[in-house]
Amino acid sequence: MHQSRRPLTGLCALLTLTPLLTACFAASGTDTNAGSSSRLRVALARPPAQALSPLSNDATVLGKLSVAEGLTVLDANGSAAPALATSWVRKDATTWTFELRKATFHDGTAFTAESVVASLGHAAAAKVKPRVLSDVTLTAKAEDADTVTISTSPADPVLPMRLASHELGIFAAKAYGQDGTVTPVGTGTGAFKITKLTGKSSVTLDRFDGYWGGRAKSAGIDVTWIVDGSARANALRSGEVDIAEWIPASQAKLLNEDMRHEVSSVRTDSLLLNTGDGIFADPSLRAAARSALDSSAVVGPIFAGHADPAQGLFGPAVTWAGGLRVAVTGRADAASVADVKAKTQGRTVRLAAITNRAELPEVATVVQQQLEKAGFTVQQDIRETAQLEPDLLAGKYDALVFSRVTLLDTGDAVAYLASDFTSSGTYNIARLKDARVDQAIAAAAQESDTAQRQQKIMLAEAEILRTDAAVPLVHEKVVQGFSPRVEGVVLDPRERTLITTGTHLK
Amino acid sequence: MSKSAVGRVVAGAGLLAAVAMLPWLSGTDPALAVLRARSADQDPTPEQLAAVREQVGLDQGPLAHLVRWLGGLSRGDAGVSWVSGEPVLPEVATAFAVSVTLMLGALVVTVAVAALVCARTLRQGAELRLREERAGTAAAFLAALPKFLLASLLATVFAVWLGWFPSSGWEGPASMVLPALALGVPSGAVIGGLLAQSLPAAFAEPWVRTWHACGFPPGYIARHGLRGAVAGVLPQLLPTIVGLVGGAVAVEKIFNIPGLGRLALDAAVARDLPPLQTATLVLVLLGVVAGLLVRAARRGMLGPALRDGALPALNPPALRPHRFTRWIGGFCALALLTLLVAGLSRDPLHVDTAARLAAPSIEHPLGTDSLGRDLLARLGHGALRTTALALGVTAVSVLIGLLLGMTGRVSAGLTEVASTLPAVLAGLLTTAVTGPSVWGAACAVCLVAWTPYAVQAAALFEQERATEHVRVSKSLGASPVHLMRRSLLPAVLPSVLRNAVLRLPTTVLVLASLGFLGLGEQPPAPEWGRLLSENQPYLELAPWTVLGPAGALVLLSVLAVSSTTGPASPGRRTLVAVLSGRRR
Repeated sequence: MHQSRRPLTGLCALLTLTPLLTACFAASGTDTNAGSSSRLRVALARPPAQALSPLSNDATVLGKLSVAEGLTVLDANGSAAPALATSWVRKDATTWTFELRKATFHDGTAFTAESVVASLGHAAAAKVKPRVLSDVTLTAKAEDADTVTISTSPADPVLPMRLASHELGIFAAKAYGQDGTVTPVGTGTGAFKITKLTGKSSVTLDRFDGYWGGRAKSAGIDVTWIVDGSARANALRSGEVDIAEWIPASQAKLLNEDMRHEVSSVRTDSLLLNTGDGIFADPSLRAAARSALDSSAVVGPIFAGHADPAQGLFGPAVTWAGGLRVAVTGRADAASVADVKAKTQGRTVRLAAITNRAELPEVATVVQQQLEKAGFTVQQDIRETAQLEPDLLAGKYDALVFSRVTLLDTGDAVAYLASDFTSSGTYNIARLKDARVDQAIAAAAQESDTAQRQQKIMLAEAEILRTDAAVPLVHEKVVQGFSPRVEGVVLDPRERTLITTGTHLK
Repeated sequence: MSKSAVGRVVAGAGLLAAVAMLPWLSGTDPALAVLRARSADQDPTPEQLAAVREQVGLDQGPLAHLVRWLGGLSRGDAGVSWVSGEPVLPEVATAFAVSVTLMLGALVVTVAVAALVCARTLRQGAELRLREERAGTAAAFLAALPKFLLASLLATVFAVWLGWFPSSGWEGPASMVLPALALGVPSGAVIGGLLAQSLPAAFAEPWVRTWHACGFPPGYIARHGLRGAVAGVLPQLLPTIVGLVGGAVAVEKIFNIPGLGRLALDAAVARDLPPLQTATLVLVLLGVVAGLLVRAARRGMLGPALRDGALPALNPPALRPHRFTRWIGGFCALALLTLLVAGLSRDPLHVDTAARLAAPSIEHPLGTDSLGRDLLARLGHGALRTTALALGVTAVSVLIGLLLGMTGRVSAGLTEVASTLPAVLAGLLTTAVTGPSVWGAACAVCLVAWTPYAVQAAALFEQERATEHVRVSKSLGASPVHLMRRSLLPAVLPSVLRNAVLRLPTTVLVLASLGFLGLGEQPPAPEWGRLLSENQPYLELAPWTVLGPAGALVLLSVLAVSSTTGPASPGRRTLVAVLSGRRR
C-alpha cells in the first residue's frame, strides 16, 4: 500500500511544479533572436534606475546604444558637432538659434522644431532636475519648422556642448506621460529603436531603417545588464555576449589580448582632505600627506596597470589639459615625521572610502600605509555610498579616497570645479574655502572663448592643488571587452558612445 | 492553534512596522539615498533633495506611508518605487517567482547531498551493523564551503572553461543548474550531517531488531527508521532552504539572477520603501506558509504517536566515535595551531606591491594577496578574533534558539518570520540603531542566526515530550525543572550542538558580509570572512588567495565537529554539563 502511494505523490508534485517552472523562466524574457548572427549581444554594467528615462542617469545608456540624440554631439576633442541640429549661431549672450535637420522618430512621426520645444520644455519642468540643467535654465521657441531659438538664464557659453547631453535628447510626443515620466521605448531618433524593456535585466533593440544617418550595419542589439564585473567577464569569455563593458582590473588579465581594449577615462581618483576642521585643517599636515603619497604604488597593483599616475585633477582623457597645465606654486611646506607626530598628538586620521567601486577600498589600504610612514595614525571607515555619504557631507572624516567624473554632461570642467571646490559648492566634501580658488573658478566660468576657458580652468586647477585639499592619485582607464569578431566599437573616454551604425559582427 | 496564529500575526506585523520605519530611523537623509540610487554623480543640492522629498512624500512620515501602502494592498496595488517610479507588485512578483524556482532547484540538490552524506549510516543502521558514530567530517567539509566561492568556482569551470552551462542569466532550466549546486551543496551537508547524527537513535529502537529478525528487507527498515529522524530535521529546511528566497544575494549576483534577494538588498540600500515593504511581506507570508507545511509534514510522519505520547526516546545509543575521528580532530587542531603560531610572528598589514599575488614560496608559504600582503600572516592574525566572534555569536544564537524553542507554539510565528529575513535587512535595522560599529555585526547576525536552533529545539522538545518515559516521569511527580534538566535538555542538546558546529563557517561568512554597511571590524583588519570575499575576484588568477582562507575555514569546521562527536567528547560533555546544571 505504501509502495503504490509514493510515486503518485511525486508525480502530482512534478505536474504542479512544471507550469510554475516554465512560467518563471518565460517571465524573465528569453529572446528568440539571440541566435541570429547579425545581432549584437551586449552586457552593460549599470541597470536602469528609472526605466531608461532620459531625464535620469539612464540617459547614458540611450547614448551608448544610439537610441536617442540631442541637437548636438561631442566630437573627439570635446567640442560640439552637428547632430539633430545642422548649425547654430549665438545671437547674443543668452540667445542661440539652431537650424534643424529632417529626421523621423522611431514611431514614424516627424522631427520638427515643435519636438525640440516640447522635449526641452519637459526637461526644464521635471520635478527633480536632470543633472545637466543644474546650473542653467533653458527656454526653447520654434521660429519655423526647422529653426529653434533657445534662450538661457544666465548666459551659457557652453550651450552647444550642453545640448549634446542625452538628458536633453529629443523624443516623440508619445514619450511623455501625464505623470511626468518619459519613456524612450520606440520614441527616439537614433540608429536603433527599443522594442522591449524587461525590468532591470534586459532590453531588445532593432535597427531603425528610417535613421537620417543611414542604416546601421547590425540588425539589432540584445542587451543584458550584469552588475557583477566577474560575471560580465565570464559572459564574454564563454561567448554568451559579444561586448562587455567595464571589465574590472582584477578580471582583465583573464581576457585574451585581442578581447580587452583600454580607454582613458575622465574619472580621476583623488585623496580629498578635510580642510574645514580636524587634522587636515593644518596646511603643513596636508602637505605632509601629499608628499607621502606615491601613486605608482596604486597604479600597478590595484589597477593592474589600467590607470595612469595622476598629473593633476584632469588626466589624459581631457585631451587639452596636458598642454595647458600650470605649475603649482606657493604650497605649504610639508611637516616632517616628527612634526606630524607632534601636531597630531595621537589623534587618528579617519580615512573613508566607498565600496561601490571595488578598487577604492584597496587604494585606501595603500594610502593608509603611506600616511603611516609619514607619521600619521590612520583608521579606515569603508562603507557603501548611501551609508557613508551623509557623514562625508557633514564633514565627519579627515580624508577620503574618492573617484570623480571630471567632465560632467556639458563636456566642460567648470561645473565639477565649482561644485567640488568653491566655498559655496554643493559637493564641497573637502570643505575648501579659499578666496583665490573661488576667484579662479569664477573667472573660468565667465569665459566664453573655448581656448581661453581651457587655460583658465588649468589656472584654477593649479590654485586648487596649491591648497592640497585634493591630492590626485590616478586617472582611471576603462577596460572594454569585446570579441575579435566585433568591429566598430567606439572607445569613448566620456562613455557616452559605445555602439553606432558602424558596429557589427564580422 | 489560536496562540500560534496570534504569534504569527504579531511577529509579521512587528517586522513590517520596523521596516516601515527604516528610512526615518537611520538618522541619515533618505532623500539623499534615493537620489544616489537614481544617479551616482548628481550633486545633492538642497533644491534637488527637497524635490525628491516632495516627489515621494517623505515629509508625511512613516505612518501615512504605511497606511497608504496597506490601503493600496487591499486593492492589489503595492505602490510605486521611490527610485524608478515603476509599479512595485509586478517587479516583486517576477523576482519572487525566480527566487522560488531557484530555491526548489537548491532543494533538490540539498536532498541529494544530504542523502549521500547519511547514506552509509542509514545502510549500516538498517542492517544492524551500526557500531561507531561517524564524526561527519565529510559533512563538515562541505558545510564549510562558502556559497559565493563555490558559485565563482562553478561558473569558471563549468561555464567559462567547459561551456556546459550558461555563466549567467535566467533563461531556462540550464541556467538553474550551477546556482542550485552552489546553494544546495553546503545546505545539503548541514541537513545530511544532522540526519546522520539522529539516525542511530532511530535504529536503536526495539522494533528494528524485531523486523530484522522477521526478515524485513533493509530498505524497508531504513525507510521507517528515516521517518522519525527526518521529522526532527525537516524544520531545518525553513531557515536553510526557504531562507534562500531572500538570502541568496551573493549567488544571485555572481550568476546575474533577477531574484528577490538582490531586489530587497537594492531597495534597502536605496531606502526605497515600497519594494522593500512588499518584499518583506512576501517573505513573511512565505515563511508562515512554509512553516505550516513543515508542521503538517512532521505530523504526517510521526502520526498519532506524537499526540498520544507514544514516541520512542531521542537518546542515541552510546556508540564509540569512529577510530579516525580523534586523528582527524588532532590533525586539524595541529594545523590550525601551526597557522596561528606561524602567522602571528608575521606582519598582516604590510603592503608590498612588488610581491602582488605571489604564489606560495618559502618567503610566503601561503602566497600573497592582491596588495602583496602575506596570507599566512593575515590568516594567523585573524584566527583568534574570527573564531572567538563566531563562537560567541553562535553561543548567543543557540541560547536564544533554545529559549524560544522551549516556548513551543507561542514563538513559532516569530521563528518563521525571522527565518526568511535576510541578514542584510537585519544589518540595516541594526545600523539604524547602533551606527557603524564592531558589535553591530554581531547583534545583526544574532537577530537572525537563532532560527535554525529554535526550529530544531521546538521540534525535538515536542518529540521528546511525547515520549513514554517523560509521560511516566510526569505521572511520578517530576517537576518541570527536573524534567527539563534530566530528560528534555540532554535529549535535545547533542543535536543542537551538532547543528551549531555545522553552521559555524556560515556564521563567519555572514558576519563578514555585513562589512559594506560599516558593521564589524573595519579593513584592513584580517578577518577570515573578509579574506575570502576580498580575494574572491582572484579565484582564477591566483587560486591560493582563496585556498588558504577556505582551507582554514574547513579545518575549523572539521575540528569543531570532531571535537563534539561522541558522548564522551570534550565539547559535548562540557556543554551538557553547563546547560543542564549537572555536576561532572
